[in-house]
Amino acid sequence: MDHALVRSEGVSEILTASASKGRDASWERFESLYRSSRDDIYAYVFTLLRDSAAAEDVTALAFERAYRRRRTFDRRRGEERAWLFGIARNAALDELRRRRRVATLVTDPEDVVEVSDSDGAEVALRRTAVQNALAKLPAREREIVALKFHAGMSNAELARVLGVSESNAGTLLYRTMEKLRKACNATA
Amino acid sequence: MPQLDNDPIDPEVAATLDAIDATLAGEPVDARYADIAEIALLLASDRPEVPPAFAHSLDQKVERRFAALGASEKRPKRNRSWSGFWGVAGALGAGVAAIVAIALVAGGGGGASSASSTSASESVTSAASSAGSAGSASPALRSPQHSSTAPAGSVASSAASSAAPGAPGQPLQPPTTGRKVVQGAQLNLSAAPTRIDNVAQEIYNVIGQANGIVQNSSVTQGGPAGYANFQLSVPSGSLGQTMSQLSSLTYAQVISRTDSTQDITDQYGAATRALADARALRTSLLKQLAAATTTEQIDSLKTQINDAEASISSDQATLNRLNHQVNYSEVYVTVQARAVPAPASHGGGGFTVGKAAHDAGRVLTVAAGVALIALAAITPVALVIAVLWWVGSATARRRREQALDSV
Repeated sequence: MDHALVRSEGVSEILTASASKGRDASWERFESLYRSSRDDIYAYVFTLLRDSAAAEDVTALAFERAYRRRRTFDRRRGEERAWLFGIARNAALDELRRRRRVATLVTDPEDVVEVSDSDGAEVALRRTAVQNALAKLPAREREIVALKFHAGMSNAELARVLGVSESNAGTLLYRTMEKLRKACNATA
Repeated sequence: MPQLDNDPIDPEVAATLDAIDATLAGEPVDARYADIAEIALLLASDRPEVPPAFAHSLDQKVERRFAALGASEKRPKRNRSWSGFWGVAGALGAGVAAIVAIALVAGGGGGASSASSTSASESVTSAASSAGSAGSASPALRSPQHSSTAPAGSVASSAASSAAPGAPGQPLQPPTTGRKVVQGAQLNLSAAPTRIDNVAQEIYNVIGQANGIVQNSSVTQGGPAGYANFQLSVPSGSLGQTMSQLSSLTYAQVISRTDSTQDITDQYGAATRALADARALRTSLLKQLAAATTTEQIDSLKTQINDAEASISSDQATLNRLNHQVNYSEVYVTVQARAVPAPASHGGGGFTVGKAAHDAGRVLTVAAGVALIALAAITPVALVIAVLWWVGSATARRRREQALDSV
């Protein structure tokens, strides 16, 4: 959780002033959750959808739904973060379904392979290989990567979001990493 | 959330996962996991960043608490339709429950009687209660005992009862227009246990005044379980007035009242024709007997005349019975003891604590009845909605998972 808090601390301070009026406990919890998870949710959704516009829409929709349902959140059923990612996941999967209904693919997936200028040549090559391998993974495995490495989730949180047992989630992650490793080594 | 399995994790898998977690935490890992650790680091460092414009826009939306703009407009249509469906289903269920409850209450939920009707039967229903006015007394009674016989082929017409204490009784008179109509009524009264005798006397007085007949009666007095019942025969012409008076006894209140009618015009006409035919046959046979010359003819005709006279007697009896049924209506009255204080006798229209408590009790009883009926109506609707919700959720979950596999 701390990991996520550090990542999302860039959220605008503008929230503080507005929230002070008419504060209630559920709003404060939501605000805190928003601050800690905004960037993680976006990263997860983007990795899943590979479309920045759709990722923005789905991220906004997920937070709106979470806001509207914030009073129905039941802590006994899990942590708020897992609950929020569950909402985002449903919204993202709905988007995937909508795309499938509307057309096979209106646009090509965005090119997510970027090379940082600051990397050395060797690192840049490895990074490109990983990016390419990730892009070729099916959505279900990209989702695991996104939850683990982009949203910073523990294996237990990952299991709760996916609706599987923790050991099952660990096994899925292991297999995905093995796929990536083999793909990277094959490229090399 | 469903848990697919809880098998213990493979040691090699567990070690790899530990290495990944250690890498992300910035700790050193065994050289065997160098590849995995490097991939983990590269994946973590390649995390997509939120575009600043979008971040600002989303912050604004959150600041306004998503008030009436933006995000909801981009909500996928499917979700709207689903929420609309559940809203409509809920409203429909509530509406059906309300309609059923209102219909049952308005239709006399206190107990509908069974109905079996012939094509010529009519049915009328009324609710009545005592209004506190006393009928005038007349001690004259005719034939205090008379055994009642149900007419052959008589079928009770459809009837319904309603419990509506407090409503004034209105006499019901079906349109006759020359038809032969058998009328009947049943009246259930309640009275204070100590007033059963008074009520019985009032009933006798009303019947005497109407020149009716108490065919049989039974009055049990004493203790909280007092009970009385009466089988009465009342001239049909004064049935309405008699029922009004019986519904307005001083010491009794109406629990329910049922009026019934049966059209027997066809049956009556058939009996009349049969009687006429039998008489004509006897006349013919008598003429033939007068003209008969041989002993055999005379004996044969006498036998036939005897048969015809028996037939005439039978048809005449049937006709008389039908006439009696038409002219006199059967009225059944029951009086049950109740545990509430008897109403004030004459001129007691003022407010008392006892009356108020009684009225409050009635209101609570009716409210509880309405609530129970509504609950009975809502339960199956709620079950159906719950099943639909469960099926809808399962379907949506399965389709979402399928969406992952298709990309």
